Amino acid sequence: MIGETLRLKVAAACAISPSLRHLRLVAADGGKLPPAAAGAHLQLVLKGATRTHRNAYSLISRPGARDAYEIIVRRVPASRGGSAFIHEQIKVGDVLEAGWPGNLFAPVRTARRHLMIAGGIGITPFLSYLADFAFGGADYALHLCCREDEQHVFDPWLAGKSGVSVHWDTDGRRLDIPALLAAQPVGTHLYVCGPAAMNDEVLELAAAAGWPASHVHCEHFGSALSGGEAFHAFLAKSGVEVSVGEDESLLEAIERIGVKAPCLCRGGACGVCVTPLLEGEAEHRDHYLSAAEREAGRLILPCVSRARSGRLVLDL
Amino acid sequence: MLHSDIKSRPIYTQLEPDLSGSQHLLIVEGDTVLPGRLDSLAGTFAPVEEQLHTWLVGTQAGGLGLGKVWRLPDVADVVDAFACATRGYGIGDRLYVQGTEPFLWSVAKAAAIIGFSADQIHLHHAGSLRRRVWCTHCHTVTENVTTSIASCAGCHRHLLVRDHFSRRLGAFMGVMVDAEAPGEVPAVEENFA
Ligand code: FES
Repeated sequence: MIGETLRLKVAAACAISPSLRHLRLVAADGGKLPPAAAGAHLQLVLKGATRTHRNAYSLISRPGARDAYEIIVRRVPASRGGSAFIHEQIKVGDVLEAGWPGNLFAPVRTARRHLMIAGGIGITPFLSYLADFAFGGADYALHLCCREDEQHVFDPWLAGKSGVSVHWDTDGRRLDIPALLAAQPVGTHLYVCGPAAMNDEVLELAAAAGWPASHVHCEHFGSALSGGEAFHAFLAKSGVEVSVGEDESLLEAIERIGVKAPCLCRGGACGVCVTPLLEGEAEHRDHYLSAAEREAGRLILPCVSRARSGRLVLDL
Repeated sequence: MLHSDIKSRPIYTQLEPDLSGSQHLLIVEGDTVLPGRLDSLAGTFAPVEEQLHTWLVGTQAGGLGLGKVWRLPDVADVVDAFACATRGYGIGDRLYVQGTEPFLWSVAKAAAIIGFSADQIHLHHAGSLRRRVWCTHCHTVTENVTTSIASCAGCHRHLLVRDHFSRRLGAFMGVMVDAEAPGEVPAVEENFA
């Protein structure tokens, strides 16, 4: 399958919990898929009735697998559409368009030990890590924090894996994050993937415990972040005005009107979509721009960021 | 000779405690400490004294009493102590090393082997500028080189001591100086005393 995009056929789709759906995708032409390494994600183009969503999902399939990609999608309560579309519309046999797998969250090969902290569905990138570490014999520990009723949801991927602990919000089952972070030996790398509040807490605690920044890695899922008040943007180079709805991102609105904009993670992490901001004030929601760059107000990441008020003019 | 246009030449800084660290280990090559300098080092590290271990290596000007002090005869003992560390070192720990470059890099290498990352290690050059030189021809290491051209301890070629530095080897590169015209060796200068 060579081309800018991949055509994937839904080979299996099943609910693994009331809010989680597992998809198995194969090449629509029956050929082999491009291999992806641990931590990779796939960007799916989801063509709904009213609009198209592009959402990124971590691949949970075995790293290097070429027969199928597997993902798990949580139904976001106030869904912007992408996750609802996957839960309600997609059926076995459907063909979806997808980007090539990208990887912004690969495990560090020189690590002595890998410490993973996942919040709920944030476990997905780590399922591919586990499959990877099982080969290499790497030292690791995975701590999953989830709802009590979801503690067994990921068992099919965790079966037979040592080093996995599950925590939930009950006395005796909570994860003592400061104690965990303080007890790690030199050479450990920390990976965290969960809801924003949990990510921020872990990152702060790691810094307080003296973790060198180079040993701390975080994957944010941005999809739930990008909605907000509606606003207008003017694309100066293209000479068009676009109105951005409450439940779509600036990037999605730009794509909707057919203007080509670069992107990769769609979650404010990679910086690929960075665009000069000519006028207006941005509400920055990304994890990419430095404090100084935000302050300067000359750049915006349209995949997650919006207008603070009124109208933005982009150099696009 | 501590500065060079060669990018691989390490740059050293003054030592000061990184307050974000949880435990602090200060390793000092004893004979690089000038009289009075120990006291100022003690003052610098006073804020973390509770979490500080100091290892004094080799002969020293006495008097340093900073945190828990341990005396070791030789840098080889530091390397051994790391290699068979019974107490594991933590990801929040910080290592500070003061001494000559061969000393700094012997310690830094031993620390890296047990998992310390570069941003946990702070190096401060003090004392002699003598260099450890790695022969690019026979790969032998020649210690205690103080001259611009040195004889390789392995193959006895005349090596021009470059500023090119290998962190992996903890040594400067030495390349044969008279390869083009055998026997034509430029004047030797005492550059790294
Ligand atoms: S696409 Fe990665 S930051 Fe916007």
